Amino acid sequence: MKVIVVGCGRFGVELAYHLSKRGDEVVVLDASSDAFSNLPQDFDGRLVEGDAMNQDVLLRADIEEADALAAVTNSDVLNLVVGRIAREVYNVPNVVARNYEVFTRELYELFDLQVVSAATWGTQRMIELLNHTEARLVYSAGNGEVTFYEVAVPANWEGKTLTEILNCSGCQLTAVTRGGKAFIASDDLVLECGDVLSICATNRGAEILRERLADARGEA
Amino acid sequence: MKVVIVGGGRTGTQLARLLLQQNYDVHLVEERRDVLARIHRELPTEIIHEGNPVDLAVLEQAGIQSADVVTACTSIDEVNLVVCYVARTRYKVRRTIARVNDPRDAWLFKDLFCVDVAVNQAAIMSRLIEEEMSMGDMMTLLKLRRGNYSLVEEKIPEGASGIGLAIKDLSIEGVVIAAIIRHGEVIVPRGVTTFEAGDEVLAVTDPEGAQKLAELFKRPSQVKANP
Repeated sequence: MKVIVVGCGRFGVELAYHLSKRGDEVVVLDASSDAFSNLPQDFDGRLVEGDAMNQDVLLRADIEEADALAAVTNSDVLNLVVGRIAREVYNVPNVVARNYEVFTRELYELFDLQVVSAATWGTQRMIELLNHTEARLVYSAGNGEVTFYEVAVPANWEGKTLTEILNCSGCQLTAVTRGGKAFIASDDLVLECGDVLSICATNRGAEILRERLADARGEA
Repeated sequence: MKVVIVGGGRTGTQLARLLLQQNYDVHLVEERRDVLARIHRELPTEIIHEGNPVDLAVLEQAGIQSADVVTACTSIDEVNLVVCYVARTRYKVRRTIARVNDPRDAWLFKDLFCVDVAVNQAAIMSRLIEEEMSMGDMMTLLKLRRGNYSLVEEKIPEGASGIGLAIKDLSIEGVVIAAIIRHGEVIVPRGVTTFEAGDEVLAVTDPEGAQKLAELFKRPSQVKANP
């Protein structure tokens, strides 16, 4: 895969290096050649110095041939503009941008760009870990708006359905592991003690899930 | 009419002052502390909104939702582009105007970022200077607001190659002879009117036409200014 990484800061360096280690053909673009000194010695991608909004510079980075572009500078406006140019002008099939300042998050939606928000996602994950006890987080989608949990069914949930227990629309049962075997399940499944539930939940849903689990433990 | 100006540098401030004089409903967004200190002395405080120009909350506080025109004139091109895009796609602002700081970014100030009008200061200045340099004695009296046309004036010197030529035989595209001032009197030109030495010719023309006209009316000894 041919990938252009725009921005050679902490984020760009990591990304470019790991992509090139995986065997991708990487071009790193930055306005200042000083930034390239942060790349490890054994990085074997190509370096392009210049303004990412400049047509000549983008062509030098072979944007017409690129399969993907990641706009990861620490300027949100630049990431938005470069992301849009890549997709709309050069039809780069896969464009991802980094969200830096949290207050600009909404702009990425407006620009219809795939976005990775390290601050939002990191905060979400941090809260999870700090609160982590009953529900184990296994995966978070997007920037942590929807998360997947594994929950062991407590004894006093036996014979009930998840809908009865949670009474909330922010949680959905996706799979159940029962007796060592997993199967796809819906919310009306009658639970058995020892089941491990895979639940996807919104932030609000996850909150309720944790409350109910704490209640169940309290009653026991 | 409600206008939101984003960027309170010299351009933005001057524009705000001008529009206020004409009783527009003006709102200005600026973030930089030092600039804010200055513009609070120059403009009414109630029209100044402090904050990051790409923070939707700040733009909304400035009333972008009901703005008729948004003008993005910060010194950062990508900010200007994002402001125009947001103004149109989210707030349905009818008209967006943006300042181009780096002429190399000019190609982006188009539909791609919902920019209706791009004001490219460097390009305007350099074109003006270039025209003035190459036109010899021709004077630009007026730039017409739309398109590429100007009203120019040139006095025909003795020996110029265009003397004796009838207007109907003047086959320069993009040139209209508007008037001739001869011996202090204005002559409304007709097809059969011929140019005479000492005539002051007023013409509406595009840059290419002006070039050809200057050629026709130059002093015989005059070295061609624009080879």
